[in-house]
Amino acid sequence: MTATVVTLIARRLLAAIPTLLIVSALLFCVLRVLPVDPAAMSLPPNATIAEIEAKRREMGLDRPLPQQYAIWLRGALHGDFGQSIQFRRDAAALVAATLPATVQLAVAAMVIAGVLGFGGGLVLFRLRGTVLEPLADLVSIVLLSIPEFLWALILLFVFGVVLRVLPFTGEVAPGLPLPHITGFLLIDSLLVGRFDVFASACLHLILPAVALGLAFSPTTMRVLRSSLFDVYHEDYITQARLRGLSERQILLGHALKNAVLPTLTLAGVQFGILFSGTLLVEVIYSYPGMGNLMVDAVRNADLPLIQAVGLTYCIVVLLINTTVDSLYVVLNPKLRIR
Amino acid sequence: MANVLAHCLRSPRVLIALGMVLSIGACAIFAGSLAPHDPGEQNLLSILTPPIWQTGGDPSYPLGTDSLGRDVLSRLIYGARTALLVAFFASLGAMIIGTILAHFSGYFGGAVDWIIGRAVDVWMSFPPVILSLILMVGLGIGLRNVILAIVLVDWTRFCRVLRSEVLVVRRNDYVAAARLLGFTHWQTIVREIFPATLPLLITLVSLEMAIAVVVEAILSFVGLGVGANQPAWGQMIADARQYVYQSPWNLLLPIIAIFLTVTAFNLLGDGLRRTLDVRLVETGR
Repeated sequence: MTATVVTLIARRLLAAIPTLLIVSALLFCVLRVLPVDPAAMSLPPNATIAEIEAKRREMGLDRPLPQQYAIWLRGALHGDFGQSIQFRRDAAALVAATLPATVQLAVAAMVIAGVLGFGGGLVLFRLRGTVLEPLADLVSIVLLSIPEFLWALILLFVFGVVLRVLPFTGEVAPGLPLPHITGFLLIDSLLVGRFDVFASACLHLILPAVALGLAFSPTTMRVLRSSLFDVYHEDYITQARLRGLSERQILLGHALKNAVLPTLTLAGVQFGILFSGTLLVEVIYSYPGMGNLMVDAVRNADLPLIQAVGLTYCIVVLLINTTVDSLYVVLNPKLRIR
Repeated sequence: MANVLAHCLRSPRVLIALGMVLSIGACAIFAGSLAPHDPGEQNLLSILTPPIWQTGGDPSYPLGTDSLGRDVLSRLIYGARTALLVAFFASLGAMIIGTILAHFSGYFGGAVDWIIGRAVDVWMSFPPVILSLILMVGLGIGLRNVILAIVLVDWTRFCRVLRSEVLVVRRNDYVAAARLLGFTHWQTIVREIFPATLPLLITLVSLEMAIAVVVEAILSFVGLGVGANQPAWGQMIADARQYVYQSPWNLLLPIIAIFLTVTAFNLLGDGLRRTLDVRLVETGR
């Protein structure tokens, strides 16, 4: 069983490689048509023309575009994405330093989105046929139309500015040490036994994670509700009712198990989108993850860094989607025979 | 057609949404005469004044001023113009590209379908936020480039959804009949298939407008939007974020503006979907 899962995931990952190559080539082309000269930018302003020319040759900028791409790709395959122009540090190292914080935020948000989505879906379903149904319907549409960008700002305003109960800047309170073992602050602070850092990191994670979670829960809610509707038309529900089971037993014991599969698939797809949604939430809450790095790079036209971060986002999203696809096959017995 | 229109207007959801969209649209069109001040006019003697209902409010600045002493109300009104301009032209552009490709893809099938399908796949493996940021780096800031970036990112939404609709429509007998009558491929697509996908298209455009409003706000917030000379809601939020304790209203007002606009377009899209979708009408939902 596990062997099939592993081969399945491996096969799908291999199939994703051509996509990734095209994506990286596109990324490269878009950024090369820019009217900025990376060579001139990475030298001090008083550099001579000859020095800039030498730098251009060194960076391979004097060669034709396909060759430049080949050079970059060879480097990228060895984990070398070049030097960030503004930070004068290895771009890959900068990405590696910020990725754990983003992953931490995305996972926390996904958990919140899952809990809210499933809970909300059940509530929406229980309200069917009652006077509250149209109202619940309207609320779910309004919720559906609030993107993470707005949630982040609304929560910042309510809990950070008006009520002043939660912090809304950074990863921990200023002045606290940042232990570094795995890169995941929540884990590292526990490993070194700094529970004050852990508590502060948790508090700082609440608003960004809830903002993202809220933005991604309504879709799950609505899909769970509609698949519950579908399941309730099945004969085994009538049969369960005839056997005298309570509505609660029918819902939790029979209907939910079958309705959960489409919801889980959707949740997986959502996780991919949610991951890229961290970018804005990070910027709004000054959370030191990959999103802030990206915006920094974009504002300063730091080409090597934009390429490295942009490609990392694409790879992570592709990885999530591939894994979710494979898991779906594993979870759905109907697809397993093939 | 008149029937369909009347049917739509009977839905309270569509009516409310349409009312909201039209009011925001009126603000955008008549911004010049509605706004009490020039949106770029700075009054450094009265910066960060609170709205009129708070102590210290100045009647000549009903919703207060920002950190440069610019009138918040006027900037909100002109911001609506920016948001709606982007929403209208970006969704129009994405619709045109997406619809044409979807019809080719779904109607002809085979190699055409395969190529367009792969292009959509590759495109969609870029997270939209990342792609639009990268495009803005390449294109440079400005209203036209924001629109272009959104079109280049979002045509896939139309293409993917409409293609499957075209696949369904193509199997209808009346399409075969049109071909037998001697219609060319072009005539068949334009006169038989395209009208059948129109209800879905209208819904998609409405939803796309909501997305475009958000994307424009995001790009302006990050500083890669329409540029500093043109008032935009995202820019107002980024500015107010720095003075959030002194003047929380400056942060809240543009948030409300974006929220109302996005909700209006989404409600409209949802209402239109319910009233225009033949399948839903027939089953009486």
